[in-house]
Amino acid sequence: MLDGVSLSVAAGEIVDIVGPSGSGKTTFLRALARLLPAASGELLLGSVPAEKIPATEWRCRVALQPQKPALTEGDVRANLLLPWTLRVRHGRPRPSDAALAEALASVGLDDIGLDRDAARLSVGQVARVALLRVTLTTPDVLLLDEPDAALDDDSALSVATLTRAFAEKGGAVVRVRHHRSDGLAARRLLLEGGRLAVSSAGTASPAREEVVS
Amino acid sequence: MNEAAGGVIVIGPWQLALATLFVVFVGIVSVRLALGITKDLAIATVRTYVQLLALGFVLRWVFGINSPWLVLGILLLMVLMASRILIQRSPDAPRGIFASVFISQALTGFLVTFAVTGVIVQVKPWYLPQYVIPLAGMVIGNSMTGIALALERMFADLDARKDEVLALTALGATPWEASHGAIRLALRAGLIPTINSMAAAGIVFIPGMMSGQILAGADPVTATGYQIVVMLMVAAATALGSVVALVLTYRRRFTPDGVFLEKGMRPDS
Repeated sequence: MLDGVSLSVAAGEIVDIVGPSGSGKTTFLRALARLLPAASGELLLGSVPAEKIPATEWRCRVALQPQKPALTEGDVRANLLLPWTLRVRHGRPRPSDAALAEALASVGLDDIGLDRDAARLSVGQVARVALLRVTLTTPDVLLLDEPDAALDDDSALSVATLTRAFAEKGGAVVRVRHHRSDGLAARRLLLEGGRLAVSSAGTASPAREEVVS
Repeated sequence: MNEAAGGVIVIGPWQLALATLFVVFVGIVSVRLALGITKDLAIATVRTYVQLLALGFVLRWVFGINSPWLVLGILLLMVLMASRILIQRSPDAPRGIFASVFISQALTGFLVTFAVTGVIVQVKPWYLPQYVIPLAGMVIGNSMTGIALALERMFADLDARKDEVLALTALGATPWEASHGAIRLALRAGLIPTINSMAAAGIVFIPGMMSGQILAGADPVTATGYQIVVMLMVAAATALGSVVALVLTYRRRFTPDGVFLEKGMRPDS
């Protein structure tokens, strides 16, 4: 579906990928996260080629938030701490309840509490908890597949705020979006016919980059 | 009535013919009411006759020969047939899992059967066919049902939860970690029929083996001992077999890189 697509993203930069549905935007994000079977090409993180990094470790550093946010059984706390139950993060310090509560408050979820059953959250709340779950792990690159497609305006605004805060701390962000620009992205790229073209450009120095071809 | 040694009343050709009359009667009703089950019923009746008579003669022959190799060969054949049926009953499972299924069935079948005959019942010689073959049949047959349920459930569940599996994998989960929820549910699903029959045994029904021993003139309390051993043995075999089968097969739905192969990404679909 994709052929000869190449992209580099700098630390602290937000890049949007737009394009007609079926043009391969989701496929492209999955390839960046090494979640695409039978993908071929060159991926670099910093200057380290992907082959030098185990796949699970790569996905910790280049984290994809899929289009359909999926929480697991259990309460909000269990969901937010889920990444630290995985072997790949074994021994890394997990956030305290206070840090989790603060994170919830930062996206306007101070009213739900850590003990709330995840099954009882609304669509907008699920999207924000799922996004918090991945940003709390502080990846180098965050890949967001239509983070605000199904959200009401308030939830979408919280998601945008969280995304901006992540980039301001030095994270790189690649978003697939359908909506009109929300002014966050330094660049908007158009994916069409298997090619990636500049839709509108900003400037950034590529301190951290990824290339797919 | 034909009396035989051990107090068992022998069923002769006349009794068989009488029993068949019941089925013939149901067949007539089916034709009259156009129920459309006549053909199936006829085939099932013929199969029952042929398969069970063959089994009876084969077992009589095996008991006469009394050879350890023959007993082991029959057990192996049972495991092979069970593995084949098991694969047919798991349409959602990936292809190429026959070896894994065979290993899990063979391991539990032989292990549990000989643990019971060797350690608990202590039959001598160890291969005594009238103990080993029926017990192996119960172990393999019941664990087959449980393993089939567990496998089908795990692969169906992985498909149903593909979003969750993707989210977990994207967070750095290994295939084992991403499948863990599905594996847990599948194990439970495989064990439910066994646990249900354990719970209902003695209250709702007299278990098959105990019925058989009582009909054969055994003391009901003696028969109870055997039935308890058999039920525990079946539960253990089902649990053990399911765990082995799930652990050996879950990885087949993932790439070497640990990505779950959703429908449409699979080479075999």
